[in-house]
Amino acid sequence: MKRRGREFVLAAVLGAILLAMAGWAPAFFEPAPLRSLLTREAPALVVACGMALVILTRQIDISVGSQFSVCSVAAGLLAAAGWPLGLVLPVAAGCGALLGALNGILVAGLGLPSIVVTLGTMVALRQGLNLARQGEFVNLPDGVQWFGLSQSAGQAVLLVSALLVLVGLALALRYLAAGRQVYAVGSDAEAARLAGIRPRVVTLAVFTLLGLLCGIAAVMNIVQSPQVQPLAGSGLELKVIAAVVVGGVAISGGRGSLWGVLTGLVLLACIPPALTHLHIEAYWEKAIQGAIILLAATAEGVRRRKERH
Amino acid sequence: MRPPNQNHWKSHLFRYEVLLLLVLVVEWLVFWHFGTTVNRRGVTVGFGTVDRQFDILRHSCEIGLLALALTPVILTAGIDLAVGSLLGLCAVIFGQLWHDAGLPVWAAAAGALAAGGLGGALNAGLIARLQLPPLIVTLGTYSLFRGLAEALTRGAVTYTDFPAGFLFLGQERWLGLPVQAWVFAGVAAGIWILVHRTMTGRALRVIGFSPEGARYAGLPVTRQVALAYVLAGFIAGLAALIYTARLGQARADAGTGYELFAITAVVLGGTSIFGGRGSVTGTLLGVAVIAVLKNGLATLPAVIRLNAAEELSGLLTGGLLLGVLALGAAPKFLSAWRSRGQSRRQPALPPP
Amino acid sequence: MVNPTPQPVQPLLVFANIAKNFGAVQALRGVDFELRPGEVHALLGENGAGKSTLIKVATGAHAPDSGHLVLGGRRLDALNPATARALGVACIYQQPALFPDLTVAENLALRLEPAGAWRRVDRRARRVRAAELLQRLGADLAPDAEIRDLSMPEQQLVEIAAAIGAGARIVIMDEPTASLTQREQERLFAIVRTLRAEGVGVIYISHRLEEIFALADRVTVLRDGASVGTHAVGDMDAAGLIRLMVGRELAGLPPPGGTVPGEIALELRGTGCAAAGVGSVTFAVRAGEILGLAGLVGAGRTELARVLFGLTPADEGEILREGRPVRLDSPQAAMAHGLAYVPEDRRRHGVVMELPVAQNITLAAHRRVFRHGWLSAPAENRVAAEFIARLGIKAAGPEAAVATLSGGNQQKVAVARWLATAPRVLILDEPTQGVDIAAKGELHRIIRELAQGGLAVILISSDLPEIIGLCDRIGVMRGGTLREILPGGTAAPVVMAAALGTNEKEGAA
Repeated sequence: MKRRGREFVLAAVLGAILLAMAGWAPAFFEPAPLRSLLTREAPALVVACGMALVILTRQIDISVGSQFSVCSVAAGLLAAAGWPLGLVLPVAAGCGALLGALNGILVAGLGLPSIVVTLGTMVALRQGLNLARQGEFVNLPDGVQWFGLSQSAGQAVLLVSALLVLVGLALALRYLAAGRQVYAVGSDAEAARLAGIRPRVVTLAVFTLLGLLCGIAAVMNIVQSPQVQPLAGSGLELKVIAAVVVGGVAISGGRGSLWGVLTGLVLLACIPPALTHLHIEAYWEKAIQGAIILLAATAEGVRRRKERH
Repeated sequence: MRPPNQNHWKSHLFRYEVLLLLVLVVEWLVFWHFGTTVNRRGVTVGFGTVDRQFDILRHSCEIGLLALALTPVILTAGIDLAVGSLLGLCAVIFGQLWHDAGLPVWAAAAGALAAGGLGGALNAGLIARLQLPPLIVTLGTYSLFRGLAEALTRGAVTYTDFPAGFLFLGQERWLGLPVQAWVFAGVAAGIWILVHRTMTGRALRVIGFSPEGARYAGLPVTRQVALAYVLAGFIAGLAALIYTARLGQARADAGTGYELFAITAVVLGGTSIFGGRGSVTGTLLGVAVIAVLKNGLATLPAVIRLNAAEELSGLLTGGLLLGVLALGAAPKFLSAWRSRGQSRRQPALPPP
Repeated sequence: MVNPTPQPVQPLLVFANIAKNFGAVQALRGVDFELRPGEVHALLGENGAGKSTLIKVATGAHAPDSGHLVLGGRRLDALNPATARALGVACIYQQPALFPDLTVAENLALRLEPAGAWRRVDRRARRVRAAELLQRLGADLAPDAEIRDLSMPEQQLVEIAAAIGAGARIVIMDEPTASLTQREQERLFAIVRTLRAEGVGVIYISHRLEEIFALADRVTVLRDGASVGTHAVGDMDAAGLIRLMVGRELAGLPPPGGTVPGEIALELRGTGCAAAGVGSVTFAVRAGEILGLAGLVGAGRTELARVLFGLTPADEGEILREGRPVRLDSPQAAMAHGLAYVPEDRRRHGVVMELPVAQNITLAAHRRVFRHGWLSAPAENRVAAEFIARLGIKAAGPEAAVATLSGGNQQKVAVARWLATAPRVLILDEPTQGVDIAAKGELHRIIRELAQGGLAVILISSDLPEIIGLCDRIGVMRGGTLREILPGGTAAPVVMAAALGTNEKEGAA
């Protein structure tokens, strides 16, 4: 059970926070706002799953926010043009996959450092989108919000689909040879090559998958409001990477699980409402997020250090 | 003055710097030609005016300072994503020290510089001492510093009404040039000397090439790496002062996204993201190329009509970064690809 | 002892007159070797005799320059790793190449299961198979254990299990007992015997003669890249094997002696470092003296050098410089006390490949070229020119990157870097490894001259003739400590016997 230690600690921390909230601010647990809170995080969860795969292979992608924005606007425009959501979804996902594949080709094909590549694509995509749209909102036709269902039903659909993605990927990571290859490449790319795995192909695949998930998440996002915000994805990369790192996925690759990512994301998502309920100003959110990333990184570093001795 | 030891890769770099200089000149001429107009009153406006050139200088100082700060860091094969956020934090601290704490402006400025150094020291401690990956550490402090800035100002407070003596730093001229250009030149000279003329610069380079090799050569690796990050924080504090003086206001969102332009300038300037290789001259040229691009676009009639100079320059900068990286990796990639083709042509097994 | 009489069986693997050069260095100069099914065939030789190169030819990592091999009944000029694996060759390295984050069962599966990404993984079947394989080896390992939690010998067992699982017919074991305790060793021997009983051919590399006598059926001795004979183990004794292994002399150097050593420059009193695996080392080296350190790979010589240079500081005993106790807890401290260390791994530690020759030479002696931290270009050029001339470094110029130099000249740059610091004690770690004959001779002359100039030299070398021909005294290390100090010019078999830990009288006979 040693390998699950991090997830347990995390779950305990989350449990403690929830307990504290139950004691100090029971209003936090009212169903409607809680459901809204979780639904707002559903797209982030989908992206975080993809990010976890990328980090498991010892890479990183900080352009997810821009990919998400581009896909959101694209999906919004299609929906506004009267396309049914059933068609918008695959097109948005395909658009995301293309953007992800671009990162993947630059990283896996040319052997460039993923941090700089995705820094470049992050800005190029964001500014490209701004250039094309001039910050304009996309107004969505009726019947797009909440898939044309009631709000609570729409929220349920989103939550269930986000969890489906999570469970599906978690099972694939565990039970598909491809999933084990992700771990193998992140654990030791050279040994993976010797075992007949092609690390470059795996890397390209996880970047593409992350892009695809960004596209899906974008659709999950636009159905939550009557308008599409062109900057919907700004800051998403930070939240998602924080969730993954806090969730116990080692930044050095090869270690971690999607269950930890789920816990990490919920933990981070609880911060702003917790701050409000505990009468701490919400402006502290980003600082606390940063501090949590640093704590998680330090914890991993200290653990690695101990292991070496 | 050329470095004394022009070995073959430095002469490569030298050629690269010349290429960059050419790009800069072409860029400048294009904007001069297309971006300069004479308005109805017969006054020349646009790119080809002295004022506009000074504007470019003014606007590029902060990003230029951050790029200079990042050059030693990237030479050690590290990265600092937090410089832009630290700029914001230092600006807010400066505003608070002067406005709320009522300190004299020089003391507040000293406080902002110290805050920058402290922020850098936090990065340095985690990266050099605990040996955590620079990427994740500075991603954390990127969020932490910006968050602290927002928390200190409650996301809303903007500090203004700074004394004229302070605004002089960002808005006036001294000996014919914008004041901050002198500060920038001083820092550039200092970093140039540090990187190309001191033991520390040599050590940073060696650490970038091979941290183990540096240890075996008896170099104080931890101390030198820490120095690079502390220095970066300190310069971010300085950039915060210049930013505040230029705009006359200190806000929590100061310097948002600057880290990207700074990193792009450094990489564009020929410094290898893998460490070891690079020059301060290259960084300066990289800053100039980006600054002229950014400001020049805003003078093109077509772009003005679109009202999209900011976006276009961001798009081009991101594209430029990817293009330079891909170009740099292409030879290695091609040779690897060729050798792979050869290894596939291994003799088939003869029959038993 | 099982010793089957040779039968006319088809051999599993034959090397015929295999040769391999690396630049000007002849690693293999004609090796003949034959492995039969169901035998344990020991490969014996000094460090640098060509054993590891030969293994790499067998696993397909290196293609031989001439000669051929016969594997699985096919005559081949060269192998690639995939073909070698397909023909049943498996190699157990000292440092297992496993995935540290994955479990035993998964590591085995990654080696044994077919490729294909969309297969469903049967985790239970994986565990069952892993358990079966481990049980066949008599290994008490949980299939669910993560590799990073296993000890080195346990990881070795996983490697062996992977080899068996893949149906290897030829298993190569490269010093498998180097990090094993007595009990683990016994278990490994039992496994090797099981493999032999199943008809597998085992190539067993070890320096421990008693293991060879206990385990092997036949032994082939390599010397200077050539095979000098294959014998049934039952026909040989330790002295005979040692005589086959050594037997080369260093030409062109006058014997040591003739200079009178000066004061004691460096003295160790029970020095050790638990983390580095060296302990209770006691010796003194005088100015003007060359003290050799002989021993096998893993005897603790490099580890001792790292302790002296402050890379892994000592935590027991005393170190005295010119009679005064000193603390050498960082390379900077060691340098301040006049120590210099030319490390074993030239390419990774000795020089910075990308930097030019001049900067490499002045890297440690920064006080000579950086006045108050400022670079003085004339001083740098002067220092570089001085050492390029003094050591005869052949380079396109002081600005040429070290990567463009030959191995011998790179080594001279590494030595020059430390001579530029004007040290009082110079530690040289395998200074002539991978260096061509001419440069080797020059380096020997340089080392001798340095000692004559009053420097105390500690020379770590696995090249016995070099140690014997150059050193005034020869310290022999084994198992992390200094076992004895022999006079210079001691006969090679005696030094070898001391390094191996066999009875010296027998070795000298």
